[in-house]
Amino acid sequence: MRHDAGVATRILTVEDDERIRTAVKLALEDEGWKVDEADTGEAALERFSQSPSDVVLIDIMLPGVDGFEVCRSIRRLSDVPIIMVTARDDTHDIVAGLEAGADDYLTKPFAPKELSARIRALLRRVRTTDSGATHLRFGDLEIVPEEGVVRRGGDEVHLTKTEFRLLLELANSPGRVLSREVLLERVWGHGYFADGRLVDVHVRRLRTKVEADPANPRHVVTVRGLGYKLQT
Amino acid sequence: MAGLRAWRALPARLGLRARITFTFAATTALLSALMAGATFGLTRENLVNQREASATRQARQNAETIAQQVDANPVDELIREAMGELGTPTSSRPIVEVRDGDGWRPIPLRPTTGAEAIPDELRATVADGVPARMITDVGGDPELVVGIPINDDAAAYYEVVSFGEVQDTLRSLAASLLAASVITTLVGGTLGYWLSRRTLRPLSNVGLAAEAIAGGRLDTRLEGTEDPDLNVLVTSFNHMAQALEERIDRDGRFASDVSHELRSPLMTLAASVSVLATRREEMPDDASRSAVDLMEADMARFQQLVDDLLEISRFDAGVARLSLEEVRLPELVRQAVSQRRAEKPPAIEVDADLAGMLVRADKRRLVRILDNLLGNAEAYGGGAERVAVEAAGDSVLIAVEDGGPGVSEENRERIFDRFSRGGGAGRRSGGGDGVGLGLALVAEHARLHGGRVWVEDRPDGRSGARFVVQLPVGRA
Repeated sequence: MRHDAGVATRILTVEDDERIRTAVKLALEDEGWKVDEADTGEAALERFSQSPSDVVLIDIMLPGVDGFEVCRSIRRLSDVPIIMVTARDDTHDIVAGLEAGADDYLTKPFAPKELSARIRALLRRVRTTDSGATHLRFGDLEIVPEEGVVRRGGDEVHLTKTEFRLLLELANSPGRVLSREVLLERVWGHGYFADGRLVDVHVRRLRTKVEADPANPRHVVTVRGLGYKLQT
Repeated sequence: MAGLRAWRALPARLGLRARITFTFAATTALLSALMAGATFGLTRENLVNQREASATRQARQNAETIAQQVDANPVDELIREAMGELGTPTSSRPIVEVRDGDGWRPIPLRPTTGAEAIPDELRATVADGVPARMITDVGGDPELVVGIPINDDAAAYYEVVSFGEVQDTLRSLAASLLAASVITTLVGGTLGYWLSRRTLRPLSNVGLAAEAIAGGRLDTRLEGTEDPDLNVLVTSFNHMAQALEERIDRDGRFASDVSHELRSPLMTLAASVSVLATRREEMPDDASRSAVDLMEADMARFQQLVDDLLEISRFDAGVARLSLEEVRLPELVRQAVSQRRAEKPPAIEVDADLAGMLVRADKRRLVRILDNLLGNAEAYGGGAERVAVEAAGDSVLIAVEDGGPGVSEENRERIFDRFSRGGGAGRRSGGGDGVGLGLALVAEHARLHGGRVWVEDRPDGRSGARFVVQLPVGRA
């Protein structure tokens, strides 16, 4: 990754309020990151297609093309980690944002320290397997942690970084149930009180990619009241 | 009109339904009494006439038989014998009177029936050679006395006929009619009750709908009806419900508009303050550093206050909704306690049978409840000393106990009001952090779960307050 190679991590902030944009930029630059700004959805998409960022921060309340649409468009181009910013903890907005492809969300006003912690969690290197195995198999599913590759029936499946990390966490504890709290902590670096819907929406998205029939999952199964587990 | 006034004058507390029922019952009672009276009167007249006619016919025949005996041999013993042979029923008592000088000598068939049964008026008429009959009422028992002259006034034949049978028949008729009237009245009352229910159903539907709206189901509407009289009510009720829903919707939108308006500048402030705080050490003087510290501390308070205000405005607008999920209550309590990072964390005690319990609850709201109670204990009670999760029937109790001065009786309700800072003897120690919405929000969150919160003395008798949240949680 670029920040490992000594090149500054680039963060794109999409926010129509200039004062917020500037203040957030100052706070993020204090962390040593390079910040690109966009004040509209259109500007953000243009900017991103010219020079992709390492993390994108999108306010969903944008004039013109809204945040959900920007999120979907960027997701079509890249698996870059996306953080949605919502002005209200409205269940509908949050789930819609996650379903549009966001990896995480923050509710305004958030503490800049919280934002940088989230960004760092999303930029973390994918943890390799505890066992050191190079190939993990679950039936027709094959995971190669070193290469960050997942194949289903021999065909490569394209996962975002967060989806991959989620799958790998489940794969590292084969057949064992992981609670949402544990997954929130290991995949997103969140505490116990984080929003379990993050896990639910990501599991849903993961299933559409790794399951033959996402409505009747065979690999990523829900254990009611406990959490999720991966099986063959 | 007078009837209508009387109807209106029925005590209003009886209620419309009772009044309609009563009116139906009263009307049917009146009608059935009239019918019964008429039936009784006609039947009675009929029966009496029949009885009179048959008794008179019988008496004429009997008189002829006796006349032959009197003609042949007017000896008392033979006449009595002839009377005995008439075969009159026990209800008829024949008497023959024979002229004896100026008076009459009675020859009764039975010694119990004397001449005194025959009224003098009748006797006088018969003495003139005219047959006559008369109804007497001796000792309350009406009797028919028929008198027929024999042998050109030489003697007279009387028959005293009791009306007992007729009387019995009339009595049982009266009983039947009374029973019929009572049944008719009951049927009338029942019909009235049923009709009033039917008529008033639209009204009770309005009541149910109003209750549903008050309970938060704002989209409740009355179904349209074809009855033009009722449609006015239905239409205006639905208009009112619509207006109310729009109004509450607007309030809800206002809350989210305010949220956006307040949060944006707060966002800028929070980010800017954090940039300044990073440079705290580079600042030239103590005053700048103190100012940055103050800003940073109150930034957090400001954010909390805005969050709380928005939360409570959602309750006020009726837009607060539970987001239920399965929660491990004991684990949640432990996490909430450890998150506060108190210097002296409270002891956590969980009822043994609740240890692994999963409940369906709104996790975020439960965390707010616990965090606010722990924060309140820190601000006013020297920190929580014990947090307990207890079973109580179908509910779970979460109790937070502190070692402060406790809350006096008169403040135990008021303390859950908005912006009622502290409690007990004015402000308790360590005050200043509370923004006064914490406990009000605890109450609202608990209510949304169908539970409640109260404060009491510590059960172990030591000084301190015990805040108890009761949640009727369905076990998952």
